[in-house]
Amino acid sequence: MFHIRLLFTAIRGLQQNLLRSILATLGVIIGVGAVVSAVSILQGAQRDVLDQFESLGADQLIIVDGKREHGGVTSTVRALAPVDAEKILQENAELVIRVSPQYQGGGQIKYFQQNVNGIILGVTETYAPMNSYLVESGRFISREDVRGSTMVTVLGYGVAQDLFGALPAVGKNVKINGKSFVVVGVMEKKGTLGFMNVDEQAIIPLTTAMARMFGQRYLSMLNVQCASAVAIPACTEGITKTLRVSHRIRSGTKDDFTIYTQEQMKQRFAQVAKIFGVVLYSIAGISLLVGAIGIMNIMLVSVTERTREIGVRLAIGARRFDILKQFLTEASIISLFGGALGVVAGWAMANFLGEFTQVLETYTPPSIIIASLIMAVFVGVVSGIYPAIRAARLDPVQALRYE
Amino acid sequence: MIRALQLTKHYHMGDSVVRALQDVDLHVPHGQFVSIVGASGSGKSTMMHIFGCLDRPTSGTVEINGQTINTMSEKRMALLRNHEIGFVFQTFNLISRTSALDNVLIPLMYTRKAYSTKPAIEALDRVGLSNRAKHKPSELSGGECQRVAIARAIVNKPKLLLADEPTGNLDSRTGRQIMDIVHELHAGGMTVVLVTHEMDIAVQAERMIEMKDGRIVADTAVDAERRDEILRISRDSHQSLFRKKSMLSPSSKPLPPKLEAS
Repeated sequence: MFHIRLLFTAIRGLQQNLLRSILATLGVIIGVGAVVSAVSILQGAQRDVLDQFESLGADQLIIVDGKREHGGVTSTVRALAPVDAEKILQENAELVIRVSPQYQGGGQIKYFQQNVNGIILGVTETYAPMNSYLVESGRFISREDVRGSTMVTVLGYGVAQDLFGALPAVGKNVKINGKSFVVVGVMEKKGTLGFMNVDEQAIIPLTTAMARMFGQRYLSMLNVQCASAVAIPACTEGITKTLRVSHRIRSGTKDDFTIYTQEQMKQRFAQVAKIFGVVLYSIAGISLLVGAIGIMNIMLVSVTERTREIGVRLAIGARRFDILKQFLTEASIISLFGGALGVVAGWAMANFLGEFTQVLETYTPPSIIIASLIMAVFVGVVSGIYPAIRAARLDPVQALRYE
Repeated sequence: MIRALQLTKHYHMGDSVVRALQDVDLHVPHGQFVSIVGASGSGKSTMMHIFGCLDRPTSGTVEINGQTINTMSEKRMALLRNHEIGFVFQTFNLISRTSALDNVLIPLMYTRKAYSTKPAIEALDRVGLSNRAKHKPSELSGGECQRVAIARAIVNKPKLLLADEPTGNLDSRTGRQIMDIVHELHAGGMTVVLVTHEMDIAVQAERMIEMKDGRIVADTAVDAERRDEILRISRDSHQSLFRKKSMLSPSSKPLPPKLEAS
C-alpha cells in the first residue's frame, strides 16, 4: 500500500540535505541529458542525410575515385577524366540518360567591396536538369560555355543575395579567385543538394574550372542518371565495363573508381551512423552509470546518517518493507526529477549545438523522452536498492543506540 | 500483559558472551505500573527491547498481551509494536525535519488502515500540545519534545507503554510534568513499564523491580509508606546505591519483598 505520506516523507528527507540531493540529482541530469542530446543529434543527422539521399533520386549513380591498397596503405586513386563522361554516355546509350561530370573547388567570389567564400563548382549543362535545379533569372551554363571554356558564372541564391542584395546580378562582373567572370544567371533557392549547400556556390563551366581556374585533369565526381531505378544494376555493369576499358585496367585488378547507388549510400551511412551511435550511447551510458553511483553514494550516506531514525521508525511499528520503500522512494524521486530535468537539458543542449554549429540538424523523438524517464527511474531503483536493503536490515536495538 | 518465563538473552561481543538476561521470570498484569531500576548493564534495557518486540530472547518465552513473540514473524512483530506498544525514549527520538503533528502521524502511516490526522490531533491534545502541532522539534523545549514523543507513543492507543528513562534528559520540574502524563495514561488503564535511574521517579510506580547482572534481585509493591522509606535510603547512600548492593533489601531495615509468582 502506498501512502501519499510516504512521498512527503521522502521529499522531506531529501529537503533536509538539499545541496546533497541536488548534487545527486545532477548526476542523473547529466546522464539523461547526455543520452537525450546524443539521440537528438544522431536522429537529426540521420533524418537530414536520408533526406539528402532521397533528393539524389533512386535512378542516379555517383561515381567517385576509387581506393588503391598498396602495401597495406590505402590511398585514393585519381582517375576520372572528363572524357569518361562522354564514353559512358556513348557506350551505354540505351541505359544512361545523362551524365554530369563535376569538379569542385573552393574560392572567393567578389563584387567590388562585397565578397563571400564559397564552393566553386565546375559543371556541364546537364547539372541543372539532372538535379531538377532551376535558374531563377538569366540562364544556366550552356554546352557552348563548356566547349569554349568561357568566363561565365551562375551564382547560387545565397551568393547572389550576399553580393548584390536586391539588385539584379545578371550581366555584372564578379571576381572569382581573382579572375573576372560575367554573371549569366542566378539559381533558385534550393538549400542542400547532395550534402552541399548549393545556395552558397558559384557554378562555372567544367572546362573553365579544370583548365583555367584550378589546373586539374581529373574530376571530383561523375553523376549519372540511368533510364530508370530498375535499370540501375545493368547501368552499373555497363559503366564499370566502359571505365575499366577507358582506364586500361587489366582483368583481375581492382577498379580504380567506386560506383554508389542511393541504396548503397544509405547503407554506408547507416554503418557510419551505427558506429557514431555506439560511441555516443557509450558515453551517455557511462555518464548515466556515474549518476547511478552518485545516487547510491548519497543514499548510503543518508542511511548511515539516519540510522537512529530508522531505529525509531522500526520501534514504532514500521516493517522492514516500509523502510525499504521509504529509501527506494527517495532514490526514485532523485532519479525521476533528475530524469525530467535531464530530458529538458539534453533537448536544450542538442538545440543549442544545432543553432551554434548551423550544420547539425537535431530531432528529439518523443519516444526517447519516455524512454529516458523510464531509464532514470530504473537507475534510481537499481542504485537505491542496495542502500535501501541496508537500511531495512538494520537491527532496531543497535539502530536506536546509534549516535 | 507481559509474561516472561526463564527469559535469557546472550550477546556475542567478539569472542566473549555477554549474559544480558539470565532466567528472568516476570509477570506484569494488565494495567500495572512497573518501574525497573538497576545499574547500566544490569539488563534492564535488554528486557525493555524484548518486551518491546525489538529483540528476541536467546531462550525462554515471552508473551505480550497473550501473544508469544519467540516464534513470531518479523511482520507480526512490527504490527504488534505498532498496535499494542508505545515507546518513549530518553532522547525523545523525534524526527527533526518534520512538525510535531507529522511525528505523531508516523505510527499511523505504518498502521495499515484508513489514514486520518484526527487521532494524532487527539493524542497531541492529551499531552496538552495541540497548539504546537505545526512546530518543529527544534522549536520546542525538551519537555515539549518528550510530550510529542508520548503523543506519538499513544496515537495508536496501545495497551502497553514502554518508557526508557523518559525524564533522563529533563530537569526535575519538566520531569514531573512528564510523570503526570504517565500517571494519567496509567489511570486510563494502560500498562506502563518505566526504566529509570532516578529513585523519586521509580517510587511513583505501583511496583518496583531492581535488576543486577541480568537477574531480578528485588521486586516489591510500592505504597506511600515504602515510598518514603526507599527515598530516605536512596538519599543516604548518595546515589551510589547501585554499585553497592540492592537498596530494596537493605540490611538495616528489610522491606518485605512482594514477589509475583509467575
